[in-house]
Amino acid sequence: MGGDSKFLGLLYISPYVIGLLVFTAIPFVYSFYLSFTDYPLMTAPVWVGLDNYLELFTSDRTFRKSLSVTLVYVFTTVPLKLVFALFIAVILNYRLKMINFFRTAYYVPSILGGSVAVAVLWRYIFAKAGVVNMALGFFGMDPINWFGDPNYALFIITLLRVWQFGSAMIIFLAALQSVDKSLYESAAIDGANKWQTFRSITLPLITPVIFFNLIMQTVQAFQEFNGPYIITNGTGSPLKSTYLLPLYIYDEAFKKFDMGYASAIAWVMFFIIMVLTLVAFWSSRRWVYYAGDKRS
Amino acid sequence: MKKTATLLATLAVALSTGVSTQAAELRMSWWGGDSRHIATQEALKICGDKYGHTISPEFTGFNGHLEKLTTQLAGGTEADIMQVNWPWLPLFSKNGDGLADLGALSDIIDLSNWTEEQLASGSMKGVLNGLPVSTTGRVFMFNEGSYEAAGVAVPTTWGELLAATPAFKEKLGDEAYPFDATTLDVVLLVSMVTTQATGKDLVDPATNTVAWTAEELAKGIAFYQNLVDTGTIRSWEGAAASGTDNLWEMPEWADGHLAGSYQWDSTYSKYADPITVGHLVPVGILTIDGAVTEGVYRKPSMTFAISKRSKDPQAAAQVLNCLLNEPEGIAAMSDQRGLPSSKAALAELEKLGKIDPTLKAANDIVMAGSGPTVSPYNEDPQVRDTFQSTLEEFAYGQLSAMEAAEIIIDGINGRLAEL
Repeated sequence: MGGDSKFLGLLYISPYVIGLLVFTAIPFVYSFYLSFTDYPLMTAPVWVGLDNYLELFTSDRTFRKSLSVTLVYVFTTVPLKLVFALFIAVILNYRLKMINFFRTAYYVPSILGGSVAVAVLWRYIFAKAGVVNMALGFFGMDPINWFGDPNYALFIITLLRVWQFGSAMIIFLAALQSVDKSLYESAAIDGANKWQTFRSITLPLITPVIFFNLIMQTVQAFQEFNGPYIITNGTGSPLKSTYLLPLYIYDEAFKKFDMGYASAIAWVMFFIIMVLTLVAFWSSRRWVYYAGDKRS
Repeated sequence: MKKTATLLATLAVALSTGVSTQAAELRMSWWGGDSRHIATQEALKICGDKYGHTISPEFTGFNGHLEKLTTQLAGGTEADIMQVNWPWLPLFSKNGDGLADLGALSDIIDLSNWTEEQLASGSMKGVLNGLPVSTTGRVFMFNEGSYEAAGVAVPTTWGELLAATPAFKEKLGDEAYPFDATTLDVVLLVSMVTTQATGKDLVDPATNTVAWTAEELAKGIAFYQNLVDTGTIRSWEGAAASGTDNLWEMPEWADGHLAGSYQWDSTYSKYADPITVGHLVPVGILTIDGAVTEGVYRKPSMTFAISKRSKDPQAAAQVLNCLLNEPEGIAAMSDQRGLPSSKAALAELEKLGKIDPTLKAANDIVMAGSGPTVSPYNEDPQVRDTFQSTLEEFAYGQLSAMEAAEIIIDGINGRLAEL
């Protein structure tokens, strides 16, 4: 490659590289520095060493509550969403009439699900006199105080997230369609029923995609903001039972103007995500099957 | 001929203000609803044309405006003229040096239209940073129709309100409440009755600490609990079931089953308009037995400020004066920001018949009410969060009134020390 070509290549990728540096890399590094400062935004940051982290882990009740709520949310939402997305993908993998329509229709919630309008809709669906309680009443059940009872409030947020299963479902669907059909034919000749075929052929062959979705959905779940913010007016009510870490970071940064503390929370969250991702990668050696991989 | 007339008009304006300013490119930012946006843009056009300036409008809803303004101020990209919420002044200009000194522009802005008290409320460390646009406060509003249906008079004391509760339950059903308060309203309710009992605002300006003892605050909290226990208001948990904090959006409010509230006087129409059964009337402040004061919660609703980095503060001051003190600007702005604090604006709007009589009646109650000066720190985001989240824990039975009072006082004192 000549000098001009090299220059041209660098020129072509420069928009992305500049964007990455300006909007991701520099803020990323700078937030790490800020996490060791007291930075009320209107004045310059003042170095405070580990004070923010010490406060987080020793005296901040809200952080402990928010962290536990976030972990419960992640560990319930991600498996539920993956199972549901895979279930729908398996159904949509059959040759049915109007299958393309159904595939599109099932993907729509993913486009709309994160929107403000749908989160507002959720508030009405689960309100005291909402559709869900009306349905419960139809079956003779007492209405549930979805928004006022701390035992149920997080469930609503979880359900909103699970409902946005479309992107995971599309990836699963692509994986299902790439499974070699001859394997199914062999299984059928050997007398395997549908469940046995799914468990012993389909599932192992799509484990790389399950792994990919697991990582992506975990990261997204940790970053959940829109749903709880809109449904609870940003309060994380009742009793902070829906107060996920991104809400807490937002409040500290933009309502209380404590950028240093907010950065410290963000870095703790980053560390947790990183550890969980590393654990997932480590465990993948035991359950993820890559065709052609000698370890398999 | 037209050009000569324009030139002469511009010269006359410059001479009349005693300040020579050139045509300037300015920006003004504010929050509000559609009708305020339309009125303000119209006023900016009129005032801009009058002085030969061009003013670019930047407007949003209230949600997120604080974040936007803070980011702009931190980055030095704020507008020349800004609508700044009164409690935000200490955040942006703790020592009076974060925003322009409007006192230094008094040769352009006619400050005689505001009282000394009003100017003091917009000053930080003696520096006038924000001109109060209007004065607002919390008033009691009751649905007269609901009270008629229950066969009781609209209350004037807390005792009468409590006594009305059984009649509501009997005539309108168990789900009928003569009053409503939840989340932020509870904070202000507890604050008010504690102020009535002690004669003191939450923050002692002399020591910059909480003025109430834990015992005094615990009594205020217990007062709230009594309202819940007697069925006078909905419980915190019960109110949350509706899925919205906005009372005016609720069917129970519209049909009169929630028959009273404690709200900003300037929001009267917002609460009155959705009511389909009965009608809403503002009434005087309810007081507890042995009240030292009415404990009115009165404050500048918002202020107009000028950026200290404005390239042309004189031009910005001309526009500001036009919006607040000159007939053309006043008529265009109308009452979109409540009843104006400026004497000139109030007189002009009254002359033009642009003031809603009920809004005026509500504002009169606020202005006539007695009580200590309200500290802007009452509305500091951390102070509010500590107060409200602790009251929520109390309401859910996780804390006693005394425990809640101690946590609130400790938390707020910690924050006040930082401020």
